[in-house]
Amino acid sequence: MDVQTDRVTAALLKHKSQKKALIAILQDIQAEYNYLPPDALRAVARSLSIPLIDVIGVATFYRAFSLKPRGRHLVTVCQGTACHIRGGPKILEEFERKLAVKPGETTPDNQFTLETVACLGCCAIGPVVIVDKDYHAHTTTLKVDGILKRYRKTRRPS
Amino acid sequence: MSSLPVLRKTRDLKKAIAEAKRRRAEDKRPVLTVSAGTCGRARGSLKVIAALQKSLKSAKMESKVRVRVTGCHGFCEAEPNIILQPQDLFYQKVDPGRAGDIVLQTLKKKKVLDDLLYRDPATGAAAAQEAEIPFYKKQKRMVLGDNALIDPTKVEDYLAIGGYGSLLKVLTGMAPEAVIAEVKSSGLRGRGGAGFPTGRKWEVARQQKASPKYIICNADEGDPGAYMDRSLLEGNPHRVLEGMMIGAYALGAREGVIYVRDEYPLAVENVTLAIEALRGLGLLGENILGTGFDFDFKIAKGAGAFVCGEETALIASVEGRVGEPRQRPPFPAVKGLWGKPTVINNVETWGNIPLIVAQGGAAFASVGTAGSKGTKIFSLVGKINNTGLVEVPMGITLREIIYDIGGGIPGDKKFKAVQTGGPSGGCLPASKIDLPIDYESLAAAGSIMGSGGMIVMDESTCMVDVARYFLNFLRDESCGKCLSCREGTQRMYEIVSRIAEGKGVEADLVLLEELAVAVKDASMCGLGQTAANPVLSTLKYFKGEYRSHIRRKKCPALVCKEVVSSPCQYVCPIGQEASTYIALVSQGQYEEAYKVILKDNPLPSVCARVCHHPCEKSCRAGESGDPVSIRAIKRFVLDWAEANGVRYRPEPVRQNKEKIAIIGSGPSGLTAAYFLARKGYRPTVYEALPTAGGMLAVGIPDHRLPKDVLDREVEMIKAAGVAIKTGQVLGRDVTIDGLFRDGYKAVFCATGAGKSLAMGIPGEEAEGVLHSLEYLREVNLGQAVQVGRRVCIVGGGNSAIDAARAAHRQPGCQKVSILYRRTKAEMPALAEEVDAAIDEGIDIQFLVAPIKVITAYGKATAIECLRMKLGDKDASGRRRPVPIEGSNFTLPLDTLILAISERPDTSYIGEGDEIRRVEENIHIDDETAMTTRAGVFAGGDAVTGPNTVVEAMAAGKTAAEMIEKYVRGLPMQRDYWLTRPSVYVPAVAVPEREAGEVKRPKIPHLSLAQRRKNFREVELGMSEPQACREARRCLRCDLETADAKAAIGAKP
Repeated sequence: MDVQTDRVTAALLKHKSQKKALIAILQDIQAEYNYLPPDALRAVARSLSIPLIDVIGVATFYRAFSLKPRGRHLVTVCQGTACHIRGGPKILEEFERKLAVKPGETTPDNQFTLETVACLGCCAIGPVVIVDKDYHAHTTTLKVDGILKRYRKTRRPS
Repeated sequence: MSSLPVLRKTRDLKKAIAEAKRRRAEDKRPVLTVSAGTCGRARGSLKVIAALQKSLKSAKMESKVRVRVTGCHGFCEAEPNIILQPQDLFYQKVDPGRAGDIVLQTLKKKKVLDDLLYRDPATGAAAAQEAEIPFYKKQKRMVLGDNALIDPTKVEDYLAIGGYGSLLKVLTGMAPEAVIAEVKSSGLRGRGGAGFPTGRKWEVARQQKASPKYIICNADEGDPGAYMDRSLLEGNPHRVLEGMMIGAYALGAREGVIYVRDEYPLAVENVTLAIEALRGLGLLGENILGTGFDFDFKIAKGAGAFVCGEETALIASVEGRVGEPRQRPPFPAVKGLWGKPTVINNVETWGNIPLIVAQGGAAFASVGTAGSKGTKIFSLVGKINNTGLVEVPMGITLREIIYDIGGGIPGDKKFKAVQTGGPSGGCLPASKIDLPIDYESLAAAGSIMGSGGMIVMDESTCMVDVARYFLNFLRDESCGKCLSCREGTQRMYEIVSRIAEGKGVEADLVLLEELAVAVKDASMCGLGQTAANPVLSTLKYFKGEYRSHIRRKKCPALVCKEVVSSPCQYVCPIGQEASTYIALVSQGQYEEAYKVILKDNPLPSVCARVCHHPCEKSCRAGESGDPVSIRAIKRFVLDWAEANGVRYRPEPVRQNKEKIAIIGSGPSGLTAAYFLARKGYRPTVYEALPTAGGMLAVGIPDHRLPKDVLDREVEMIKAAGVAIKTGQVLGRDVTIDGLFRDGYKAVFCATGAGKSLAMGIPGEEAEGVLHSLEYLREVNLGQAVQVGRRVCIVGGGNSAIDAARAAHRQPGCQKVSILYRRTKAEMPALAEEVDAAIDEGIDIQFLVAPIKVITAYGKATAIECLRMKLGDKDASGRRRPVPIEGSNFTLPLDTLILAISERPDTSYIGEGDEIRRVEENIHIDDETAMTTRAGVFAGGDAVTGPNTVVEAMAAGKTAAEMIEKYVRGLPMQRDYWLTRPSVYVPAVAVPEREAGEVKRPKIPHLSLAQRRKNFREVELGMSEPQACREARRCLRCDLETADAKAAIGAKP
């Protein structure tokens, strides 16, 4: 992916190119591109005078970052303890089955990326699934199809 | 945003607070408070707010009513909820569609909407005010309570409830040391998990000479299931900010960092707005309010790493580095952010500071226990009725939290354990229900307070699975720095996974405990040091469950997929491969299906008619629709085989092994005999009655189990090499000693439970009073038995229903009533039998208990009864019926049949027999099935008391296995196998039109007219298309295991 240097520069400037703001800078770049392009990482390393390996170290340490492009819609299935005992794993399996991908992967048509999260703090409405910014409460395996159908129609994340 | 002026002096703040309070007090308009935290929004509270505003507008009431959008009120189960002030009226689970009614009825006409009120699930009583709701009654919401009073995006709301008054107090008259002294005297301990005394931490940091100093708010809240920090930060950010500013002042810090986890966007947003509001007021920056106090905030977002909840890892993250913890000492209070003294505290800890300053440390310390002061917010989640955030004084018991506040376990299931302290914590089993909750008591019980997550588990939670879950979480979140944690969590996870998959061995438990100690000792930070807690505490309290997985290849909670495979096959006491034969039916391979059934079941047609089908109860299709009609599909296969002359022809076996004696030809005895014959032994069955079959022959009437069906299967058993001698009574015609003298090498007592229990009411001995077992025996043996015109049956089990339906079929009988002392829900009889009885016109009266038989000339003429109502639960878990005084009534009758229960009749056992009994029941060793006398085994109802057909058959199958081991001199240990199908049948393609089908078919029955006064079989069985279609509904759980996937090579 061609990284537009001005977008990366904007992120760097926003945080005054401070080394300590590395995580925040990467978060802003990820918000722009929906992932961390390798060229962006190189630009950040150069600009902050941090060895590239350290930038990659941070990028791979934190789960929020993705080094691979993400699909149009991000499906995040909560695997927190409360969601787990309410059947969270079955929901995840159903998404895996329906999308034919494993967590961390994107469907070949680039529509959906499947991820898990350790806890969203919404245990009362578990099992919880977030698609883009929408929270889906009390998910069941029967609802998975309907959820995916809704987003297949829309072009951009809602 | 606000029209507040910039505050330049302390008196300006004082004035601003007073003004805000005054404005609020003077505004007499009602307030609609709508909770709109993250979960509230997920449940639609924003839509509710929009609907309310629209309704207010059209009713021209917008200026007359205030709508206050607040954060979370804590009662998550009731979201979206609305509290109407000033009356404190609480509406729960509000749908946007009700907005109109709320405005027009409640606001305008002062009418309360009953259906929106909270109702106690047990009593149905409504609670109109929040204070009356049981969830809130025992709480002490010192920290979280203010959420309902303020809009978190409006700083003036916070001022209006006295907010920043504590900061004012500190800035105008307390030296930093005095503030620290107050916090120390309060006894406040860190609420993030470790519980370190807050005042002491501050004191250490204050004493450091280095500068600048920092304060940090740890809002990483990584424990899954804990979200109290989110709620506080979203709903009352100023409370936390005020606490931090007081702390900064006490410490001499100029900068405060709030580290919020990435997964809390609303919290980040509201804290950001709050900080901006403070800047706008002039309360941040240099020389705040002219006091010389300089301070400002920064927000740092987490990026998805649980370990960043650990203070040194968090600091690394703030510094832009990988979140790896470092060695302590030095502690952050001495050397923290950028190597400078740093006080890092949890959100809830900071939230308590303004309270402590306002009321004083001593007042704060008056709440709680000796070692744990104040309140704690717990997130009560999982298998609990009232999910939510509860704030309670330290020292409250677990029982109060789970039952009084939490409303108990949904579906009336049994409470099993509660996990506290997240992945660093442990579980507390039901035996600890009266534990007072504080730091010390939790640690003593093997858990920790942690951040306050309380995850409630019931009987359908597997503790091995829970341990595996936590280990999976921890090995993923381990930063990797320490070998002991990095490798240790991985290996512990592998071991527990093996156990959860049914591949564990006993030695694994020893290894697990050794590893746990090593990980704990050698790891540098809290994550590694506590990583073993979930495993150690589940091992401490639930070792039996681990052993069940290891030894018996069973997951009692039916959770571990690799162990359970198909629940239908797994729960079947005789291990019938239901999913396999169902799959074969769906493929049209009926003969193959027949063979699969017969290999494990010598009485298949019997089971296909009378089994209580535990398989259907555990069928996964039943979780979101009707369970598959497994029994009916089995019946279809057997009927097909019979109609097409298909016979089961197993490998012939030479019976040249020892003679074995079996007493009783009921399902238990017949099954034991069959399998012993198949193993090459020579079994002889001694039956007291003139006909074989036990209860199958003389208990169950022909309209359920036709005689010829039973006889056919008994003949098949005989043909397999079993000799049956009828008219032989143990104790009279044969004795156990005699059998051994005759060369039998082992004896299996399967004499059943054939003695009726008396009721113990006056008049029971009168003529016309029968016992159901004797009555049914006579009916089934074709003996003349008269019943009168009006028949009453007492009881609620299958025997009662059988007797009722049989009596109803007899000539002369016109009315049959069943009297049962509890309700339909508690009736032990099969639901389909109860429904059939009602269909046939039998009158079932619930909550009725007979107290006296009224007689005339020694003959029963009526029965006097009392009406009952349901009281508290008894030992069986059912609510006990309680008589209603003075509710006596009589029912006239001609025949009374008592069917309340049965007992074994083991009077044939004498002193010299050395066979131990517990009352009437024969005692056996669970593992060996042997009685206390060598070589004498027992099983079925004679051991358990009245039970089901298939359980009796299972006992017979086990007896055959153990008798062989006994006779061969092999170790008396049971063989346990992992539940797997004998063959993996590929899945059948389900036609599009059937894809969403969740209902069972209606199985053809004789019409009511066709059933009148005869004993013809009522259930007719499914047609072929019906059976195949129903078979296609099977979810094929047997294909879900790793073994299945490997065998079929199917993609997941």
